[in-house]
Amino acid sequence: MSKKNSNATAPVTTGKVYNFCSKKKMILIIAIFIIVALIAGALIRGIKFAIEFKGGTMLTYSYTGDLNVDDVKTEVEKHIDSNVSVRRGESLDSDGYQITISFTTKDGLNADGQHEMTENLRAAFPDNELELFDSNDVSPSSGREFLLKCLVAMIFAAIIIIIYIAIRFSKIGGWSAGVCSIFALVHDILAALAVSIICGFEFNSNIVAVILTILGYSINNTIVIYDRIRENRTLMPKASLNELINVSCTQSLTRSIRTSITTISTMLIVTIVVIISGYTSLLSFSVPLMVGLISGTYSSLFVAPVTWSWWKGNDKGDKKDKKKDK
Amino acid sequence: MTVKKIGKSTFFIVVALIALFAASAITGFDYLYGDNTTTVIKGVDDIRLGIDIKGGVDVTFAPAGDYDATDEQLDAATEVIKTRLASLGINDNELYSDGKSDRIIVRFPWQAGESNFDPESAVKELGEMAELTFRKGTDTETDEEGNVTPVGDLVISGSDIESAGYTQQPDSYGNLEWVVTLKLNTDGTSKFGSATSELAGSTTPISIWMDSTMISAPTVNNAITTGNAVITGNFTSESAKRLADQINSGALPFKIETKSFKTISPTMGEGSLDAILLASSIAFAFIAVYMIVLYRIPGLVAVIALIGQIAGSIAAVSGWFGFQPGSTLTIPGIAGIILAVGMGVDANIITGERIKEELRSGKSLDAAIRVAYKRAFSAILDGNITNVIIAIVLMGAFGVPSSFFSKILNRTVFCMFGATAEGVVYSFGFTLLVGVICNFIFGVFFSRIMVTSLSKISGNRQLYGGDQK
Repeated sequence: MSKKNSNATAPVTTGKVYNFCSKKKMILIIAIFIIVALIAGALIRGIKFAIEFKGGTMLTYSYTGDLNVDDVKTEVEKHIDSNVSVRRGESLDSDGYQITISFTTKDGLNADGQHEMTENLRAAFPDNELELFDSNDVSPSSGREFLLKCLVAMIFAAIIIIIYIAIRFSKIGGWSAGVCSIFALVHDILAALAVSIICGFEFNSNIVAVILTILGYSINNTIVIYDRIRENRTLMPKASLNELINVSCTQSLTRSIRTSITTISTMLIVTIVVIISGYTSLLSFSVPLMVGLISGTYSSLFVAPVTWSWWKGNDKGDKKDKKKDK
Repeated sequence: MTVKKIGKSTFFIVVALIALFAASAITGFDYLYGDNTTTVIKGVDDIRLGIDIKGGVDVTFAPAGDYDATDEQLDAATEVIKTRLASLGINDNELYSDGKSDRIIVRFPWQAGESNFDPESAVKELGEMAELTFRKGTDTETDEEGNVTPVGDLVISGSDIESAGYTQQPDSYGNLEWVVTLKLNTDGTSKFGSATSELAGSTTPISIWMDSTMISAPTVNNAITTGNAVITGNFTSESAKRLADQINSGALPFKIETKSFKTISPTMGEGSLDAILLASSIAFAFIAVYMIVLYRIPGLVAVIALIGQIAGSIAAVSGWFGFQPGSTLTIPGIAGIILAVGMGVDANIITGERIKEELRSGKSLDAAIRVAYKRAFSAILDGNITNVIIAIVLMGAFGVPSSFFSKILNRTVFCMFGATAEGVVYSFGFTLLVGVICNFIFGVFFSRIMVTSLSKISGNRQLYGGDQK
């Protein structure tokens, strides 16, 4: 790649070079802040797992006329030996209302049970023209399995990415670079999760899509910086690691900001359209993703390179290591 | 690609090609011949929308209790569901079975024009195991409601059969042919023996019914009293297996029940699709203006390349390319397209910035463009490859059990899990992978050709982000 042109030009360092590496304190403070927010949010608001993950049953019926939430609850509890929660909502498509019944049973409610439940409710409230609108039933064991499989898939992808980065960036000390990029990624994912929890969104398959998207963007952002460091390493063989990081981050700054503007505004547009059109179920996708993207911009410029510089700084006893690095 | 070959006209050729590709990927091409519409090229209308958009039913069946079914038994159960889906008129469906976790996954969208479609009873019916009967003759009776029921004398039913299989044996000319073998239990042997003695040599067949669907009607050549029967009749290995599976299902020793069951109403999803499409259009318009303002000519080229990339994603989802079947598009699938477009924008920004830098360092326009694309490529490559890794892991972990990546990963990394075929996550992986590939084709390869060609038309450095010189 770029190595061949190493002596063609010196790196372009127009204007001043920002000192990214001096911001260690700020990074630490923000990282701690995110973790505190996450824990505080989880303690105060609680993590709400959607039934995809925890298992359970959720039935939504549309109905006409008046329906008392407590009456429905009593009726359902007659048939289900479990804690039932009933919520009323307005119908999205037309006039009329909807009622959402949710509960968790040991084995989930199978199709027979669900059919029976609908019949029972129709019999109990014959005047309300109950119609099944939406239903979701997941047995707790398959819910847990799905959650676990998502986790294993993400961890597996992370390991492969570390190996890939280690190989591609072996010139600048690949393994540590790989691990630091994953560290920055975890930082971004935690930030998105913290916002999700604080906003009271449930963890459903939207959050899986959010984490996956952040996974892609965050690593990409970090790699663009690493790529610059790799290139500058050949151009400035004598520079210290901190100088190298500062120059590379400064050079990538415009690109980082401009790319982030496009991605973040895309999510902002999605958020606004979703709020206006009323399909708020998509908010649990667009809002955490937006936060993840903002965090990704910051973490690729600060967290990944700076933790990496700190790692390499501790690593090398003296200047000996510079030869090894090359 | 040698840069020397790129002339002034190359830009217009590339733009025309991308425009043609995008137009055909969006509109598709079909013609009406008589009453049949033949689709030559698939367009946006041919995209299969996932049940999270279109509404529909997603069910996972498994044997009741902890019964550990054999692969043959599971195949048999799957075959019943397949027959049931067909008899319910649900032809647009996805059906997977996974022998390891004993799961059968069925997904089908809301049936068009059926507002009073009752998913609960449909699923209930799917999960009920079929009643298998062998009858004399093929007579049926139709009641007032149009339901057809077989009325021939009952010969044997599912409980009389021990097992069915399929094998090859030589026919009367000595050629190998596929046959279905039947093994009956003691009760069945005597009932079948007397019936076949009666019908041997006659033209009255013994018909095989699953509920009220006739699946086969072989004639009886000889009386069969041993309890081992062979059904012949122009079978292929597939049709023989299917009949054997169908017969076995009538003799299944377990009941299947739903492990997870989801119905989504169509009104819910379509609104969110509209919202996403509106937001995407606004976002695209914004990105287009932003890129052209910031990067002028490379920005314009980026917009053209992005259109090509989006068209490429649409084409892959709809099945525009003949060599791969389309994929179901879900809401996370759209997120995958958006992510890939973001990566495409990023690739163009990286190159655009590089062109500026190289111009400022005093290079000629030609050299600046050449060096910029070359140097930007390593960053674009590494960033996109990591996304390919993510996409492949997702497609492997959450794809249908028979797909390529799934076969590799589910037997290794994910061996402790059963197949989930979580179409929602799979769709994300699919569109991401396709988007990244399109990004290389359009955002890197074609955009380089276009920028190089344009630089032959106008050498004004300012149009490429350079200083006035």
